[in-house]
Amino acid sequence: MARPVEAGALRRAVLRANTRLLLTGVMLFQFTGMLLLAIRSDSFDLQAVTFAVALPLVTWLTVKLYSKFWPIDRALLILTLMLCSISLVTLKDIARSSVTPQTQAVYMLAGLIAMAVGIEFMRHVRAWDRWAVPLMVVTFLMVASPLIVGSWVNGAKAWLKFGSGDGALTVQPSEFGKISLIFVLASQLSNRPRFRKCLPALLFAAALCGLLLVQRDLGALLIYFLTTVMMFYAATSNLPVTLAGLGMGAGGAVAAYHLFPYVANRIELFKNPWSDPLNLGYQIIQALIAIGSGGMFGMGLGLGYPRNIPLYHSDFIFAAICEDFGLVFALAMLGLYVLILMRGASVAMNARTSFHALVAFGVVALVASQTFIIVGGNIKLIPLTGVTLPFISAGGSSMVSMMGAMGMLLGVSSLNADDEAEDLRRLEWREGAL
Amino acid sequence: MKRMRRAIRAVTWLLVASFLGLGGWLGYTVYSQGARWATSQMNSRLNVAKKTNAMGDITDRNGLLLATTADDRTRKYSNDPNIRRAVSQTVGDAMGMSGTGVETFQAGTLLGLSGSIIDRTWQVLTGSQVKGDNIRLTIDAELAAYISGQFPSKKQGAVVVMNYRTGEILAMVSKPDYDPDKLTTRQSGGDESGSGYLNRALQGQYPPGSTFKIVTLAAALDYLPSAVDRTYLCTGLKEFGNGKVTCYGNAVHGELSLLQAFEKSCNITFASLAVEMGSKALIQTAEKMGFNVNFNFRDLVLYESSIPEQIPDVSELAWTGVGQGKLLVTPLHMAMITSAVANGGVMPSPLLIKQVTGVGGLPRLRTQSGAYGRVMSEGTAQFIGRYMQKVVTDGTAGKAAIKGYTVCGKTGSAETSDDKSVPTDAWFVGYLDDPAHPYAVAVVVEKGGAGGDTAAPLAAKVLKKAASRNITG
Repeated sequence: MARPVEAGALRRAVLRANTRLLLTGVMLFQFTGMLLLAIRSDSFDLQAVTFAVALPLVTWLTVKLYSKFWPIDRALLILTLMLCSISLVTLKDIARSSVTPQTQAVYMLAGLIAMAVGIEFMRHVRAWDRWAVPLMVVTFLMVASPLIVGSWVNGAKAWLKFGSGDGALTVQPSEFGKISLIFVLASQLSNRPRFRKCLPALLFAAALCGLLLVQRDLGALLIYFLTTVMMFYAATSNLPVTLAGLGMGAGGAVAAYHLFPYVANRIELFKNPWSDPLNLGYQIIQALIAIGSGGMFGMGLGLGYPRNIPLYHSDFIFAAICEDFGLVFALAMLGLYVLILMRGASVAMNARTSFHALVAFGVVALVASQTFIIVGGNIKLIPLTGVTLPFISAGGSSMVSMMGAMGMLLGVSSLNADDEAEDLRRLEWREGAL
Repeated sequence: MKRMRRAIRAVTWLLVASFLGLGGWLGYTVYSQGARWATSQMNSRLNVAKKTNAMGDITDRNGLLLATTADDRTRKYSNDPNIRRAVSQTVGDAMGMSGTGVETFQAGTLLGLSGSIIDRTWQVLTGSQVKGDNIRLTIDAELAAYISGQFPSKKQGAVVVMNYRTGEILAMVSKPDYDPDKLTTRQSGGDESGSGYLNRALQGQYPPGSTFKIVTLAAALDYLPSAVDRTYLCTGLKEFGNGKVTCYGNAVHGELSLLQAFEKSCNITFASLAVEMGSKALIQTAEKMGFNVNFNFRDLVLYESSIPEQIPDVSELAWTGVGQGKLLVTPLHMAMITSAVANGGVMPSPLLIKQVTGVGGLPRLRTQSGAYGRVMSEGTAQFIGRYMQKVVTDGTAGKAAIKGYTVCGKTGSAETSDDKSVPTDAWFVGYLDDPAHPYAVAVVVEKGGAGGDTAAPLAAKVLKKAASRNITG
């Protein structure tokens, strides 16, 4: 019994030491990237220089402070911060004005706070069963609210607007609904429930999907659906029902194709965007052209023209990154997501209760499915649905909710570490007693 | 918990696998399509780059300058007006009027956008003007000018000469042509009809006429082994289903062997063979040779040749067997099929770019473009080659013969209209059976009449000229 714990502790110690190199690499990327952007123009770019200094500093402080407060998985935190810095460097390069990177930096800080809240929340939440029903009601109303008071943005009615004019704050409730969904599913599906006990949570997920369909937010709908299916399978290992759920999803997609013209449009566009290159196919074709122009090593930071792509800073930021940094970098970035995914899954597998395991895995499923959907859409592997690239696309709702979700995952990792430390202490006490 | 861990592990590996798939698709799609996307006319980056970067030079295989950027940043083409016009669609133009030209299709390379990261860094650091790569083509511009001069005047059509061993295109002439130096706006220049911008060798989709009998013969050899030893009877007219097939010029060939039927291009014999082997055999053979294939070659854009995916109607099948029906081919594809016969059954991929050189004249490494693949067995290829030789010595292509060389070929006279008063398109495809001069040729003269009278003599001149210029390596 003693040996595995020792070996595990040793392995973690080694991994923790390695994160120092990782952190240095991330800070170097931030510094050089921003410095390159600062010397791009003839005039002195104060913002870029500020970023070049502040970004590594904030990163370093965050890693030091957060891991001082909580025994979280540092590698996960650093990988997430790396993605956030790719976001800032890219947006600093491609945005038309200096406002976008500045607000994104503010969103990133807000995201770091959300992350801290997520960690604290997971460390303290007990009696999760009792939270579930009120949370379901609140979430349902929240996601439904844009239908009543919301406004249409880019063909979807998924936004709430506070205030008016340029200073108006728009919020996408479905972004925050993702977190509730994970929490509700984890609390209802933990402890291997029988299928009947799963029904309320599954119906809740289905109701949210229905709302999103009416709002025409197909991307979010797909993310909710995939996250639910993956969490259900993880919780119950019930393959027949999982496959039936996937089949129902596929059936629903076919039905939607025939019932809703806007769904059929998406599919037609996916099949042959070149049939209407100036109008309907414009977005995806400009994205493909940008990816093709980037080639192997990219046009170079600050040397590309990704602004030719519509929505280059949100839905199509992956194409913009391909243009600036090239195929090799884009593949490496996908590798970062895979690392986060595997690291997150190992946190889930080390969790002591099935609730914590499901929360951690839910976050992994959410980030993975969202990344796959938008990257696949950008490169015309699957039909395009407008969702953000986690941690990278410009946007406050997405950044804050994703960082909050990542905070929940980190919270579970800190609980795991606490538990392992406790194990170790007991073991030493027992050995000392002998 | 144990079951949950197992389930989580399984789903995680599934997710990792789908991300691998995502990355694989990204790599594949950029590798195979990236250059096409980047050089799309909708890529406004190219127009930006044209303002700041100096486009590289284009030369022919012998180093003859075909296009260069002058000091005042305008694009200048060959000084010889005959060469300029003969290679106009192949080289392309600054306006991008000829959409498949090298100037357009390789714009990324010529503008230096696909240059290496070291070059780019150097250029950015030194602030020097970005100079694009230079491209040396496989074509022999003087051969192209000769072909252009020999082409029947006032006729439209195309001539392709390629090395059937390597796939290098030695000349590609499309008539009418245009003068890239005379283009000032997108609206002016070229010939009056505007069709001069079309590269008929790559983009012209023609009914192949009797040249398609090469494909029908290959199918017959595979699917009807007894076809070789039989005798056939041609009475000048035969009914198939609710239609009838006649021979060219209403000829009556009488009793003949398969060889004689091929020599004389007897429609009735080949229609009967097509009907006997069935549509599936014929379509499969044609598709193996590249019909209905969306070609994706490294160096050029080649439009698709097509055969219907199903031919339920017997009379249509009969006409398809003799190269009419709903068949369409491009001249380059026909030259490739001929090359496959000459090359022992392996069809080469067409090459147009001999070398790309970067800053300082260093050649760039390029992805190798291998052969398209084996499209018929070696025995079939040799058999068809022997038959094609007889077509020149004893058959319809007598005017393709060249003293001192073994020429193999097949003529075609393709009907383009139901109106019999419209002259047929004159076709000839053939090659020199000579290891030192491995040249294949495809000639189309629109409304040129009989292939043997119009296309075959032109092909003979072209092959003779190519052999005398001794293009090798």
